[in-house]
Amino acid sequence: MHVTVIAPESAVFEGAADSVIAPAFDGEVGILPRHAPFMTLLGDGRLTVRQGEANHAFHVRGGFLQVVRDNVRVVAEHARAEE
Amino acid sequence: MAKPRELRRRIKSVENTRQITKTMEMVATSKLKRAQDRVIAARPYAAALAEIISDLHDPALVEQFPLLRRPKGGARRAAVVGITSNRGLCGAFNNNLIKEARARIKALEQEGAEVELHMIGRKGVGFFKYLGRPMAAEYRDITDRPTMDDATRVIDPLMERFAAGDLDVVEVVFAKFVSAMSTPATGFRVLPVDVERVERPEDSGAAANYILRPSAREIVGAVLPLYVRNAMYRALVETAASEQGARRTAMKNATDNAGDMIDNLRRSYNRARQGQITQEISEIVGGASALQG
Repeated sequence: MHVTVIAPESAVFEGAADSVIAPAFDGEVGILPRHAPFMTLLGDGRLTVRQGEANHAFHVRGGFLQVVRDNVRVVAEHARAEE
Repeated sequence: MAKPRELRRRIKSVENTRQITKTMEMVATSKLKRAQDRVIAARPYAAALAEIISDLHDPALVEQFPLLRRPKGGARRAAVVGITSNRGLCGAFNNNLIKEARARIKALEQEGAEVELHMIGRKGVGFFKYLGRPMAAEYRDITDRPTMDDATRVIDPLMERFAAGDLDVVEVVFAKFVSAMSTPATGFRVLPVDVERVERPEDSGAAANYILRPSAREIVGAVLPLYVRNAMYRALVETAASEQGARRTAMKNATDNAGDMIDNLRRSYNRARQGQITQEISEIVGGASALQG
């Protein structure tokens, strides 16, 4: 599954991943490979992209998340990598 | 004929000027590169927003979104956001932007609208101050590295007033970054959002049968303001890149002209120097022959 995290000023992350946990407007959603086409608004919180053993964490606020054909696209108004 | 010493002084002075313009050209070139990167980096976000709006938008719902509302019977209150640079020495760049802004204001006024002017950049603010045209807002503190926060600060109050029905049209005048050599001043209508003209990226494929949460309507409602903010941000970033491109061209021309001028001055200087030597020799020869006589 391919994941991109896009902020207004630039793309923040792009790569393959095993799972994504995102803060939707009404609570967290987990996305695994072969998820059905899906679109939701984002709230404010922590976005985790898991890639094998590695975790990438971002703080995101606003925007939306889109899943289509095993492509996950997180388009956030604010997105910043977390340590 | 000018004295050789004077000519030498002028050559020196033009050489110094050329040194400065050449340095400015190089500075502009490196800034242009970075500004250009920012323009390119902002594209995926804009493309994603455009795609989702054109995917989910339903023409039947236009009435439900305040940001799509079209003024009935023409615009009565309009806002023009003019973008210029803070610094000069970039050729006709700011003049072109100011000219386009005035053209847009005039066009809207002829449609019968009352136009308020929001000006970004010292050059534009200075010009309209000089003209004595009141401005609804002046922004002198947006740097040549504009951020999303800058865009939000400018457009959000306008967006709110538009949604409330206080404004009918909002246009932005900016320098479109076609290439470093071509940066036409362009007027763009940000509000109302013209969904038909939202550029749809090619590769997105047919709209999938999405599970939508909360609903298509609410997603479009939430994404439209992002789209407007992004349009403003892109106008700022493109203008910043265009400014560096215009400055590079202007400084390159200045450097080339200084070079031509130095060539001409050198020629005059050599001629004057040779003339002086010839004159001195003929004076000596004349003096010697007078003594011999």
